[in-house]
Amino acid sequence: MTRFLAVLAAASMIAGPAVAAPVLGQPAPAFQAVDAAGKTRSLSEFKGKTVVLEWTNNGCPYVQKHYNSGNMQGLQTQAAKDGIVWLTVISSAPGMQGYLTGPQARQWKGEVKAASTDVLLDPKGTVGRAYEAKTTPHMYIVDKTGKLVYMGGIDDKASSDPDSLQGAKNYVTAALADVKAGRAVAQAATRPYGCSVKYGSAD
Amino acid sequence: MRFLMGVLSALILSSAAAAEPVNTGHLTAELVAASQGVAPGQTVAVALHQKIQKGWHTYWRNAGDSGEPTKITWTLPPGWTASDFTWPAPKRLPVGPLTNYGYEDDVLLPVNVTAPTGAAPGSTVTLRAVANFLVCADICVPEDANLTIQLPVTANPAPADPLWGGKIAKTLADAPKPAGLAGAFEKQGEVVKLAITGPALKGGDLAGAYFFPFAGTVIDHAKPQAIERGPDGLTLTLTPGYDFQSPNPPKDLGGVLEVGGKAYELTAAPGPLPPGASGLGPPPVKAAAPAGAANLGLASAAAFALVGGLILNLMPCVFPVLAMKAASLAGHGGAQAEARRQGLAFGVGVLATFLGLAALLIALRTAGSAVGWGFQLQDPPVVAALALLMLLVALNLSGVFEVGTSLQGVGTGLASRGGLAGSFFTGVLAVVVAAPCTAPFMGPALGWALTQPPAAALVVFLALGIGFALPFVAVAFLPGLLNRLPRPGPWMEVFKKALAFPMYGAVAWLVWVLTVQVGSDGVPRILGAAVVLALAAWIAGAAQRRHASGRSHVGLAAAATILGVVAVAGGAFWPAYTLAGTTASSGEAKLDEQAYTPEKLAALQAEGRPVLVNYTAAWCVSCQVNDRVALSTNAVSEALKRNNAVYLKADWTKRDAGIAAELARFGRAGVPLYLVYGAKGGEPVILPSILTEGVVVKALDAAGKAS
Repeated sequence: MTRFLAVLAAASMIAGPAVAAPVLGQPAPAFQAVDAAGKTRSLSEFKGKTVVLEWTNNGCPYVQKHYNSGNMQGLQTQAAKDGIVWLTVISSAPGMQGYLTGPQARQWKGEVKAASTDVLLDPKGTVGRAYEAKTTPHMYIVDKTGKLVYMGGIDDKASSDPDSLQGAKNYVTAALADVKAGRAVAQAATRPYGCSVKYGSAD
Repeated sequence: MRFLMGVLSALILSSAAAAEPVNTGHLTAELVAASQGVAPGQTVAVALHQKIQKGWHTYWRNAGDSGEPTKITWTLPPGWTASDFTWPAPKRLPVGPLTNYGYEDDVLLPVNVTAPTGAAPGSTVTLRAVANFLVCADICVPEDANLTIQLPVTANPAPADPLWGGKIAKTLADAPKPAGLAGAFEKQGEVVKLAITGPALKGGDLAGAYFFPFAGTVIDHAKPQAIERGPDGLTLTLTPGYDFQSPNPPKDLGGVLEVGGKAYELTAAPGPLPPGASGLGPPPVKAAAPAGAANLGLASAAAFALVGGLILNLMPCVFPVLAMKAASLAGHGGAQAEARRQGLAFGVGVLATFLGLAALLIALRTAGSAVGWGFQLQDPPVVAALALLMLLVALNLSGVFEVGTSLQGVGTGLASRGGLAGSFFTGVLAVVVAAPCTAPFMGPALGWALTQPPAAALVVFLALGIGFALPFVAVAFLPGLLNRLPRPGPWMEVFKKALAFPMYGAVAWLVWVLTVQVGSDGVPRILGAAVVLALAAWIAGAAQRRHASGRSHVGLAAAATILGVVAVAGGAFWPAYTLAGTTASSGEAKLDEQAYTPEKLAALQAEGRPVLVNYTAAWCVSCQVNDRVALSTNAVSEALKRNNAVYLKADWTKRDAGIAAELARFGRAGVPLYLVYGAKGGEPVILPSILTEGVVVKALDAAGKAS
């Protein structure tokens, strides 16, 4: 009996931390997460569509730069027009900055007039760790075949100053244009900037 | 009212000080100057001083996984210029699974301000700057400050500022600088190896070395950087960042190497890694290790050595020699004076041999040889000669031939002779055969001794010798003890013949050690020599019996001597043994083991796998015992599998500079040594020298859990 339990424990340990770092050109890490409405969503359900993943934390000054200026909503609106799925992910752990419950997330989405497809709640940080999301914002683009084609910053101005949006080169816009045109993404990996993702402790 | 107060306080501050500190919420910022004034055309250091609230931090030029470096924008009078920051070496700031680079508590970020040659002495210049910084604890707050500093323009360079001059000078002196370090990097599978060589790294303690890259996406900041030392520098195993996924991988790798409290700036180029940057394994663990001997005092090292020496008396290869000698002492009956002289002669023999071995060992190490305790048995001829010597002792105990009656020239004859020389050589023989049986107590003491000045090392070896000689000398000097030994009688013949068998066992063991060193080709040679030697011993015995009965024995004695010389020469010395390839491993591989190399260890650590390293040697008895009792068990095998751990065997049966360096790093001069590296990297856990299965399993589980 103890032997059986030991085998079981060993098996669960092997199954647990099966983490593969995200690699450009490879299938994006699969995930399941609950959305703001309490529904379980998965990456696979969007196969055939381009998917943008945006990590966020509404208390982070860098996120606020993009939302208070309407920059992020503009990107989301354009993406929606192009038939692109936009998932905003919150990986803040309970008690940490940016953590939102489902109703709070819906309220926040309404207040900032976000045009994203959905807000995914990842309080355990499972999705964040699978993608090695480091900052808010941190952006990823998955193409129609499920491959990761972009990861990195939202633009090239690593600052929380709203003035820095002027003249910034938006990497997401450029990458989405490349994807739409069927080109390889020119700048596929850039430095993400912002606040650290507020993960909880590992266990 | 409030407005008036503000104006008033501003007036007070500006009149009292040349610069005004600004509290921005989570830190206080101000501009400070290294000198009390600036002369026309002179360059002086002016620093942004951040006094940061406890628990908060600001960022280095590469902020790491998140955050943003401090920025400063100057507004200067015409002709005045200011350089970029000179960044002090940052601290690593782990945040959950991420790592940032930055500063806590108090930091000075100096810039060089240069006055125009036309600046008018006697005037006062006002330097203005806006500083922007992100201050973070678990949350981040962007803050900024409008700062000014007023400096008098002086005709000649002004003296240093009493408050800030020294601090800014120290910051500039400690800041990372190029130091002629050469760097090369190469992507090898899942890792990037960064090899750095240069005079600044030679012979240094490279523990804790860390590379802070300038670019934010070349490496994964949060992953551990495994260190391997080399004669000319070190190699770090880094986890590549986004840049290495790009179709245009990085063309250089610039950053700061921090090691030993110093920081160096360098730029590494892609290309083959220089050989001098690896090969010596990871750097030494700090003295905190529980079994580490680095902080062992001379007194306790000597005490350990004394106890270790006492224990050596019980080793299977030593005990028969000493038991027979003790019994012969008892044979002297009441002749106390004779017993004492015998005891002293033995003691002198032991001490002389220990000191001789110690002196040889110290001399070899000073000369740069990677030898440790037990080094005598790393040479096949020595092992073979010892095996044959043991065989002679055993045959003598079995009664095949006698010594001390007629054949006085044969080696063991010296040890069995009744005279003082016999006692002296018994001491020598006992030490020679005991040396490989380094009892666990002696490991730390000898390891400590070999890191000390020769005088201290000799004291430890002397203590070991005293401990070793003590029981026998005590028997010789204490009449009470001597009288308690059983009276001599016919039982002694039986006892003697029984004691031959541990000696035969020792022969078998040494033959096995030899085969591990030279491969199975050595087996017929050593066994052939043993048979010839046994024949020589038998003929010698026959000669002795003829002599005893008054007949001529010269022919037989000559034949015995010739055969004996042939056996020893052919068995041990000529032709020279060739060492077997590195694949020869001691004993069967019951565990799924791999041969240790520093590269393999570093690679496994980079993969995040726990590693058990067993430093062992065929001639090390306690290693073999541990192997059988605590390592080659099902429970350990399961623990390895369960934790995805790898078992590496570092075999020191033959000389190996890399392994010797590793042992030295953990304060050991010999084997055994057992290390368990955790899945998260970092310094290993040192397991006790006397292993139990439970200890190994527990350590492996702890190491696996770290992931």
